[in-house]
Amino acid sequence: MGRKRRDFWWSVTLLAFLTVLLFLVYPLATVLVTSFTGEEKRFVLAENYHRFFTHRYYYSSVVNSLYLSALATLGALLVGTTLAFAVARYPLPGKTFLRTAANLALLSPPFIGAYSWVVLFGRMGLANRALSAFGWSLPTIYGWRGILLVFVVQYFPFVFLLVSAALRSVDQSVEDAALSLGSPPRRTFRTAILPVIAPSLTAGALLVFMATMADFGTPMIIGEGLRTLPTLMYGEFINELGGNPAMASTLGSLLILVNTAALMAQRYYAFRKAYNVVCIQPLTVRRTSARRRLALTVFAYGVVCVALIPSTTILISSFMPTRGPVMYAGWSLQSYQSIFHLIPRAIANTFILTALAVVLDVLLGVLVAYLLARRRSRVHALLDASIMLAYAIPGTVVGVGLIVVYNRPPIILTGTWIILLVSYFIRHLPYPVRSCTAMLQQIDIRVEEASVSLGVPPFRTFLKVTIPLMFPAILSGAALAWMTTIGELSSSILLYSGPWATMSVAIFTEVFSNHFGTASALASILIVAAFVPLFLTYRVLGERAALGM
Amino acid sequence: MTRVRVEGIVKRFGDTPAIEGVSLDVRPGEFFTLVGPSGCGKTTLLRIIAGLLDQDAGRVVPSYLRNIGVVFQNYAIFPHLTVGENIAYGLKARRVPPDRIATKVAEAARLVQLEGLLDRMPAQLSGGQQQRVVLARALVIEPRLLLMDEPLSNLDAKLRVQIRSLIRALQRTLRITTIYVTHDQEEALAISDTIAVMDRGRILQVGKPWELYLRPGTRFVADFIGTMNVLHGKVEGPGPGPGALTVVTDFGERWQVQAAGSPGQPISLGIRPESLQLVPGTNAVEAWNSLKGTVTEVVYLGAVVRYQVKVREDLLVTAEIHNPDFGAICGVGDRLTLWFAAARAIPMPGETGPA
Repeated sequence: MGRKRRDFWWSVTLLAFLTVLLFLVYPLATVLVTSFTGEEKRFVLAENYHRFFTHRYYYSSVVNSLYLSALATLGALLVGTTLAFAVARYPLPGKTFLRTAANLALLSPPFIGAYSWVVLFGRMGLANRALSAFGWSLPTIYGWRGILLVFVVQYFPFVFLLVSAALRSVDQSVEDAALSLGSPPRRTFRTAILPVIAPSLTAGALLVFMATMADFGTPMIIGEGLRTLPTLMYGEFINELGGNPAMASTLGSLLILVNTAALMAQRYYAFRKAYNVVCIQPLTVRRTSARRRLALTVFAYGVVCVALIPSTTILISSFMPTRGPVMYAGWSLQSYQSIFHLIPRAIANTFILTALAVVLDVLLGVLVAYLLARRRSRVHALLDASIMLAYAIPGTVVGVGLIVVYNRPPIILTGTWIILLVSYFIRHLPYPVRSCTAMLQQIDIRVEEASVSLGVPPFRTFLKVTIPLMFPAILSGAALAWMTTIGELSSSILLYSGPWATMSVAIFTEVFSNHFGTASALASILIVAAFVPLFLTYRVLGERAALGM
Repeated sequence: MTRVRVEGIVKRFGDTPAIEGVSLDVRPGEFFTLVGPSGCGKTTLLRIIAGLLDQDAGRVVPSYLRNIGVVFQNYAIFPHLTVGENIAYGLKARRVPPDRIATKVAEAARLVQLEGLLDRMPAQLSGGQQQRVVLARALVIEPRLLLMDEPLSNLDAKLRVQIRSLIRALQRTLRITTIYVTHDQEEALAISDTIAVMDRGRILQVGKPWELYLRPGTRFVADFIGTMNVLHGKVEGPGPGPGALTVVTDFGERWQVQAAGSPGQPISLGIRPESLQLVPGTNAVEAWNSLKGTVTEVVYLGAVVRYQVKVREDLLVTAEIHNPDFGAICGVGDRLTLWFAAARAIPMPGETGPA
């Protein structure tokens, strides 16, 4: 579409590459290189890895991480898929509530979920104390069972959302055809429906696997010393007896390896198994026996209620009088008073940094998405892949990489707010890029060509036609980036310094210093702040949909 | 009214040639159609003329037309703008004063019969209405050239005919030079002043609709524009009358046709299905210009009956009988004789006999 544009889009490509190289690829490469570095900075081939795989203290972390992630993925798949099928195919009451509630469960950051279970079932937990009055006791929430519970409750909505969307794209005629050819229902599901939704199932499994591998806060809060890759990495890096960046980098490299391998395996599988489906009449709701209907209803509401427990607990406990980790019946604003009194700075930091990061994400994301969708070339495929790295790489690894690279000349960012902003920005850039690329693939390029043919130059066409059409994707990308940035803990905990603590860091330290009241109050603010933009987005998009967009 | 000349256009996509040296001359006010199977390069050529795509070689004269109206296959309507805003879009880009815009938009809406729908959003319109919005949007800027890329392909059969007539009527009234792309030969015949048949990046033949139908230059054109039966034989000698030949086949059939050729030379003849007449039975009176065969398929279409007649193992002939009499319909397996008038046999160049 003309040569004049090449300059502008060429510089966008350059800018995007520079950004990704400086803030993601280079730090990660440094982590990889550091893992091969011994004392006095000389190169060692496998000294760190040898140490890692011969000491139980180290290698147990990778065993624990893989074991937990595998079980959590399995659990989330089971719960999420069953719920998706129950809602899509059976006449359950209150389906809108079930869908909304499953979405809400995604809102609170996982470490807050973990903390809420401690509030309920921890040693001083509300439920435990109530039960002990009757002489009962519950199995402890601490340890790997607790982590597994938190993981499944936290991440099954990924699977639920993806499988639900996939089920909506299966046409009823597919099932009808299989049944009319004499295939029994069970076989029909296995041979006709499962293959079509398989890419979404594996995509959900991948999301759960990568997120649980990367989760730092949950095992920290209820692991009670259980070592996983991210917690051990954090421990090795920030150590009162002097950090060991080489070992931390070795752990980080293993995390990178495991997650990118999972990502590539899923991509490869989904790429080979993706079908183009045309859906006119989605799968219909099936009649079923009253008993099965009751069982499914109990299951669905049970799952959703458990999923809502964390945020409800947090909200309620934030209004309870507390002393240390002990909460008393009654209600009070004491916790809120003390946070606004003691740590108002953390709240301001969080909102300002998150807002800045989201604005930058959207600005660069929209431009990059346009490049990726409209100028497919090898260069842009490479750019796409390197931006998507941020999806796969745990925050702890990004944090360590940024510190190692930017705590020495020529650029020193450690100790400033900029390094937090950089991490937030680069880690959540994929959200607007993904949402906008997907949208642009729906927008016919001829709409833009029509505008150019009517005399509006290409860049003004981009502003006048493309941007307004991308608006829903921009909004939802921004809301997702906002939601995930505002509760970010795993890199913040490494990157913050002095006055630049964020709310997530403050919650974390409050929990560890047994100030449960202030932790709950901060967490409540965080959950509400994460929720509002997403809610508004749905409202706005809903109205637009009503207008016929 | 603008004359458009296309000279030696070449375009490749990577290693794949899309257009291999195409030249055209579109006269002022002409309705010019590019027709061909999908992938023949017709849309690519149109996009080059529109300036949406750069050619590798050749030129379009005038080289940079500012005022081109383009109508795209799938409408390319702006979904976020109302009907009125869609139509006004190009005028605003040209900084036409608002009151002039209002008058022009109203006038354009009247032309395409969209009055009263100016405040609607595109999603509230039917396919035919959307196509009319796009037409109005392209016409309102008073283009010197109108380019249309399969504008009717997303419409159902009835609407297609309706909008086709609307487009043709508007083009005649406004006298805009128009280049129209379609893969539908019937549409091309119905709407065009001049048709260019394209295949594999080349133009095979340019002419009036009836020239292409009655005197196709190649076997491809003959098959693409309508249906053509091709018969092979040898020139026996001059026939009765000026410019006539006698042709004989290996199977003893003897035909008289209007063609040139010397004795012994192989010759191919094209005969349109509707040029064949049908006589029940095989003891036909007329021995010349006839073929005997067995009916293998009958398609009854009301005004027309289409027969597939097997003359011999490697010769299946299509015949169409218009306005058939009640009781005169043959059935599958019937033996019959096909007959054609000498003037209706078209000599097919470049055909040297059965492969």
